Order: sequence, then structure tokens, then C-alpha cells
Amino acid sequence: MPTDSQTRAKIVVNNLTKRFGDLTVLDGINFTIKEGELLAIVGPTGCGKTTFLNCISKLMPATEGDILIDGEEANPKKHNISYVFQEPTCLPWRTVRENVAYGMEIKGVPREERIERADRIMELVGLKSCADLYPNQVSASMMQRIAVSRAFAVNPDLLLMDEPYGQLDVKLRFYLEDELVKIWQKLNATVLFVTHNVEEAVYIAERVLILSNKPTHIKAEIPINLPRPRDTISPEFVELRKQVTELIRWW
Amino acid sequence: MAGNSIANETVNQSRNREPFSLRRFLTNKYFLYCVSICLFLSLWDYVAREKIFRDSLARPLEVWDQLVLLTQIKFAGTHLWGHIWASLQRVLIGFVLASIVAIPLGLFMALNRYVNAIVKPLFDLFKPMPPIAWVSIAILWFGIGETSKVFIIIIGTFVPCLLNAYNGVRLVDPDLYDVIRVLGGSRRDEIIHVCFPASFPAIFAGLQISLSSAWTCVLAAELMNSRDGMGFLIKRGMDTHQPTLVLGGMILIAAAAYGTSLIVSLAERRLCPWQRTIDNL
Repeated sequence: MPTDSQTRAKIVVNNLTKRFGDLTVLDGINFTIKEGELLAIVGPTGCGKTTFLNCISKLMPATEGDILIDGEEANPKKHNISYVFQEPTCLPWRTVRENVAYGMEIKGVPREERIERADRIMELVGLKSCADLYPNQVSASMMQRIAVSRAFAVNPDLLLMDEPYGQLDVKLRFYLEDELVKIWQKLNATVLFVTHNVEEAVYIAERVLILSNKPTHIKAEIPINLPRPRDTISPEFVELRKQVTELIRWW
Repeated sequence: MAGNSIANETVNQSRNREPFSLRRFLTNKYFLYCVSICLFLSLWDYVAREKIFRDSLARPLEVWDQLVLLTQIKFAGTHLWGHIWASLQRVLIGFVLASIVAIPLGLFMALNRYVNAIVKPLFDLFKPMPPIAWVSIAILWFGIGETSKVFIIIIGTFVPCLLNAYNGVRLVDPDLYDVIRVLGGSRRDEIIHVCFPASFPAIFAGLQISLSSAWTCVLAAELMNSRDGMGFLIKRGMDTHQPTLVLGGMILIAAAAYGTSLIVSLAERRLCPWQRTIDNL
């Protein structure tokens, strides 16, 4: 696993601010993500997590501030940014394999390499057996894995995930989180994982940022230096979880 | 592996097999279909025999015999197949001409707001007008030949084709656009990879509606004035008081309409294989 001394800041977010008229949603957010880091962001309900991600991904223009990838202003046409949405977003007219390769196709990856990379990732997440099925022939959890595979397949500079496992039951969620950690380690991707589930954040991330209520800024930063695979009932884990929960509680 | 089986689902292809029983046979869907159709035919036969509509309702078998007879002799100079082909030809010409203009226009309207702003008001103005309302003016413009019949069919098929192509693009899941935008796709990528494929099912639904409208229109046109076609058979049957001919024509036109709609369905299954679902999943 990468350590602080070896890695540099891959993503730098400076003073990210978003206003809708008089309403300030994001208020001067500053943070960095190191190369190959898995950073989780948690916050109370309605703190503007989705707005935050939409600004970072450049789907929505920020009012102020910059987002730098390798020192350059982030640009979806130039950088490989991947986004796994809350809802599974597969193209229903493409088979599972074609869906996984979709991102690479838009990025102009040559055909040979597309097939090879798609096969490798499908192998990794266990989608191989349904590679030729269409999305309406697989279950909802499979669809989300297709979206995750598609996101990793473009070798993203930055992979954004917006509560991708929010809709799933606990057992399946843990299973997919383990899978995510496995792929992340193998492919050494830089991941920003947004969730409202504290346990999930502490379970997967190397570092957790806690957002405040609106107008949103970063309230605290907690490094998670637990060995993997993590044990959710170990005293250290429980302690960290409590600490994070305490920071976002609004009740 | 137990861990793997949590999320690695396989497609369930097994089916519940129960032993044969009378109850199962009697409640079988296909058996009940047959019952339904037999009951209808008996009722029809009964009403015809009892002369409830005096001599204006023919018995089912008489209608059948009439149709068989028409395949053997020429009626108004043409075999049965000639009459079927006459109507079918009109429908196909009108339907094809209308759809090759209406579908691209509908797509353009959905993709470009200027095209939309120019076309939409005109379209909204003409949309509520029933296509049959054009019959008289079509005859005044184009005479009683083929042109006026095809014209009416074009009028009748244009609206559903355009409307469905238009809505097909407009109702695309907006998340799919976000996906391609984050990936850095251009407007062209969006159109090719998202808009077009997403609109396919709606376009096919529009084609089906158009087709049934086309058959309505061809019938109306032929009833007004024609020397061949299935509408002509019906009209001639009415004028000469031959209920077998009227009913025969009605059945033929239903069969022809069903046949063409089946062809469109098959084309759709071929072009949109992703719409197929697996039973019980």
C-alpha cells in the first residue's frame, strides 16, 4: 500500500465554492488526494454531497475555486475522470461486455486493448459468466458492478463514487466493498468515495474527510491506518467509527 | 465458493414441471383461448341461422367458402391475391414514404431546438385533425387515382412516426448523458451512443401505430372510390347486398394488418435484441 512519503498529490482542490443564487452550498472546500489513495467523504444528509461531486466531475461549473489533476485544471476531455452514480447507469442496448468497454470506446482506446482490459476487469469482479447478457437480464447489484468495472476500465486519473452501494443489503454491500478494495489495490487507482454510511467509509478508506452542514466545508480529517482486511468489530475500528459518527451527528 | 455465490447469480432456466391433470388441462391458457374462439364462432353461427339480422349476416362457413371461391375466380377483373396486393401496395408505399421523412424529422426536432421551434407549431396545428378528414380534399387535388390514396395514408402515418421518434429521444434517462459527459464525450458521441439507440423502441412503437393507422386510411380511401383492393370488396359487397363479401373483406383486411404488424415486430426483435428479458428473472 502506498505511503505518504512515496506519493505526491494527484488531485488538488482549492477553495471550491458553489452558490445557487443566494444559497451557498459549498463554501471554500480545500483538500488533496494522493496518487493511488482511496479517500472517503462523509457528511450529514443534505450537505450537498452530490453537488460536490458534480462540481469535481465538471458536470456542473463551480462558482469559484479550481480542481487540479496533476497540476492542470481538470477537463473531462483531457483527463480520465470516472463517475459511478448512485443509480446503476448501464446502457440497456449494450451487453455487459460492451458496457464495460463503453468508457474506453469514448476515450478512444484501440479495439484490441479494449477487449483485453474489459476481459481482465470482468474476470476480477466476476462478471465473466454474464458478459454476453443485456443489463435487463441481470440483477440490480450486477448492474452496479458493471458501472464500477466501466469506471475502472478507463484507468481513471480520478474515480468518483456517489454512494454506489446505498441501495444494497448489508451482506452484499460488504462483499462489493471488499471487491472494490481489491480492484483499487490491484489497479492502483485514485478514488474519491462519497457516502453517508460511516461504517462503509471507515471500512474502505485510507482517510476520511467529514463535511459540515450547509454551507458545506470540511470539518475534520481522520486518517484510517487499520490493516486490511478490516475487522468491523475490533476495538480500533469501533473507536474510529464512533469518532466519525460524533463529528457528523446532527441529532 | 460460498463467498462468490452471494453476488454471482446464474440465470435460472429451470421450470416447474407438474404432472398432467384434468384441472391443469382445463385451466391451461391455450385451451381457454380455443374455448373463447369456439364460443364466439358458435354464437355468430347461431345469430346468422336465426336470421336476427334478417339475411344480412352470413354464417362463418359461408364466408369461408366465399373467400375460397374468390381465389378461384376473378372478381372485378382481379383474383383475391390481386385485391390484397392492391391494398397492401398502397399501405406500403404510404407507410415507407411517411416514415423515411417523419422519423428523421422527429429525431431532428428532439436534437435541435431551432428545428423544433419551426416544426412544432405546424405539427401541433395539424396533429388533432383526423386523417380521414383529408379524403375529400385529396380527391379534389389528386383525382381518384393512386396518388390520393397514398396521400391519405401518408397523412395518417406521419403523425405517430414523428411523435414517437421525437419522444424517444426526449425521454432518454438523463443519467446516461451524465455518464458520457464525464467520460469527455462530444455532442456527436452523445447522439450516436445514447440518443439513437435509446430512441429505437419508441420508434418501433410509432411504426406499429402508424401501420394500423395506414390500414384505416387505405380502407377509407378505397371505400370512397376504387376499382380494386380489400376496401373495394367490402364496398361492392355492401352495394350488391352480399354479406359474405363484406365479412370476407373485413376478415382479409384484419389478417393483412396483423401480418404487417408481425413483420414490424420481427424487425424490432432483430434490431433491438436487448429488449428481450429472461422469464422469471
